[in-house]
Amino acid sequence: MKNEENLAYFLNEAKSIKAQNFEKKLQIALLGSFTLNGFEETIRVKCNQQKIECRTYVSDYNQYNQDILKKDSKFYQFKPELTFLILDVRHILGELYFHPYSTPVLERKELVATKVNEITNLIKTIIKYSNSRVILTDLQVPTYSPYGISEQNEEFGVKQIVREINTKIRSENKDESLLSILDFNEFIQKYGEENIFSYKQFFSGDMKISIEYIPKFVDEMMRFVNAVVGITKKCIVLDLDNTLWGGIIGEDGFDNIKLGDDPIGRSFVEFQKRLLALNQRGIILAINSKNNFDDAIKVINEHPNMILRENNFGCIKINWNDKVTNLHEIASELNIGLDSFVFFDDDPINREFVKNQLNQVIVVDLPSDSAKFAHVLTEMNVFESLMITEEDAKRKDMYLGQRKRVEFENKIGDFNKFLKQMNIQVLIKKADSFSIPRISQLTLKTNQFNLTTKRYQQDQISSFSDDKNKIVESAQVSDKFGDNGITGVYIVEKKDTEWIIDTFLLSCRIIGRGVEDIMLSQLIERARKENVKKIKGKFIPTIKNKPAENFYKEFGFKEEGDFWIFDTEQTIKKPEHIKMIKNE
Amino acid sequence: MSEKLYQIVSEVFNVELNKINDNTSPENLEEWDSFNFYVLLDQIENKFNIKFDLDETLEIKKIGDFKKLFEKYGINT
Repeated sequence: MKNEENLAYFLNEAKSIKAQNFEKKLQIALLGSFTLNGFEETIRVKCNQQKIECRTYVSDYNQYNQDILKKDSKFYQFKPELTFLILDVRHILGELYFHPYSTPVLERKELVATKVNEITNLIKTIIKYSNSRVILTDLQVPTYSPYGISEQNEEFGVKQIVREINTKIRSENKDESLLSILDFNEFIQKYGEENIFSYKQFFSGDMKISIEYIPKFVDEMMRFVNAVVGITKKCIVLDLDNTLWGGIIGEDGFDNIKLGDDPIGRSFVEFQKRLLALNQRGIILAINSKNNFDDAIKVINEHPNMILRENNFGCIKINWNDKVTNLHEIASELNIGLDSFVFFDDDPINREFVKNQLNQVIVVDLPSDSAKFAHVLTEMNVFESLMITEEDAKRKDMYLGQRKRVEFENKIGDFNKFLKQMNIQVLIKKADSFSIPRISQLTLKTNQFNLTTKRYQQDQISSFSDDKNKIVESAQVSDKFGDNGITGVYIVEKKDTEWIIDTFLLSCRIIGRGVEDIMLSQLIERARKENVKKIKGKFIPTIKNKPAENFYKEFGFKEEGDFWIFDTEQTIKKPEHIKMIKNE
Repeated sequence: MSEKLYQIVSEVFNVELNKINDNTSPENLEEWDSFNFYVLLDQIENKFNIKFDLDETLEIKKIGDFKKLFEKYGINT
């Protein structure tokens, strides 16, 4: 084990973390039924490495119940945003863990219900008093039973009791959008019970996860941290030679590169299959390769064992430019920030170059052995999202459409002509059960064209949409190259004589095609029909929302104090190249 | 072998190598606390590829005590 991965490293690093003013901040609470020494230090170091300013709270030894049930506890005073509730099976089952069959079967069944209720109550109480997201570790299913192999014949044996508790907690809380489960049994499957648990450490200091594996467990916790603060990488940028296939196409030639039919070739196919699966759930793939375009694209299009084809890539840069220049171009063509990129390249010199020039890009330390590539990819915890919406899965097609749009724009030359030929359609729709998750996601993730940057969870959006005095609507944009899905949102508060725009945002990939203008103009037309005199909105500046800075001004709003105001009698700027459909 | 042992102690407790000797103990090294002692134990077991018995770990009061255990396990110091 490398030194940077052992617990001693994290304990010492934790002492030297300086207060930083990172943009991403998070209040993390750790509540456990056993000693959590080392967890807190490791999580702070890992957050610091990811540029997350994290403050932590750890419950005193086995005091989680008091912390949760007392409304004025230090835990609630801490104002947690993310709470890990780490319970262990010995603690929950007590003596029954050792002597399950001393209790009659009926009582064992009742015990499951009781424990499920207790734990559910803890979760609901945390959420009620703090509105924190809760991550619950489920209980470790024992690998031992005093009944040995005949345990399977036993009704409600100890293993079944634990499995039932785990399943029921999930099913009874499946509508609780603020609860997620950290699958502890999966963690054990990955590393093995004999490794992650040490009787000696357990007897010495009530440690239920061995010292060596605490950093590995924290890696699993970091998946949730990353998802909550929105560190979800959007795009994987790939080199070609010795990264997507073995060998160098320019030297070895089409027939001699390794892809598929030999041990080395199989490792690249496996890697590509893992990439394809991420692409299908919405991670964009891009190519950044120094090569002759024609040689390389021929492999992508025609090689019989190639898994990823041209249409799986949202952006393709095969040329003789340096990797950094290409990364800048990929970022600008896809219209996403460099901090959304993960970069794979087998050449350590290229990796160092990118690391030095673009420190916001995650540069993967790819081992020289291609047999490890797929595993390196599947071990990464930066693609996590608490929920994958339908839009995420569609995203890859949208970026493919985007690539074709750029090609079309370059071909036409004149931007206005280009817009006219794009056949843009905007469908405005009231929020419903299908669109609410996406609307919430957009308020959480949109940074650039976002006038107020108010973040709303699903339950908040849903209560707004039930409110008669609010308008919550989304805009779905499509054009001749495909459907962009739901990319615009506004939330309006209706007063008698004026409407106040609470939220107005547009996903960055759509900016600049007039969609924002059509959204606003139809809203004003509607206000006019309902005899509303004024539309008001604020622009709240952030580090990232400069693209939206002049939106109200250019539309004809007048600044008055904190607000921008539009008199509905004024003429409205309305783009002619867009067809608007209203679906109520 | 002393060198390797001291190196590990210095890394785990994050103190300079020349501060470590056989008499180093919680009494004279403030960086030594009850939890990172377990971390030290874990590192020494891993790096020397041995597993101490629980009672043996309870007998360790100063760094020199590790050497006695090494002798017992046939590791030359």
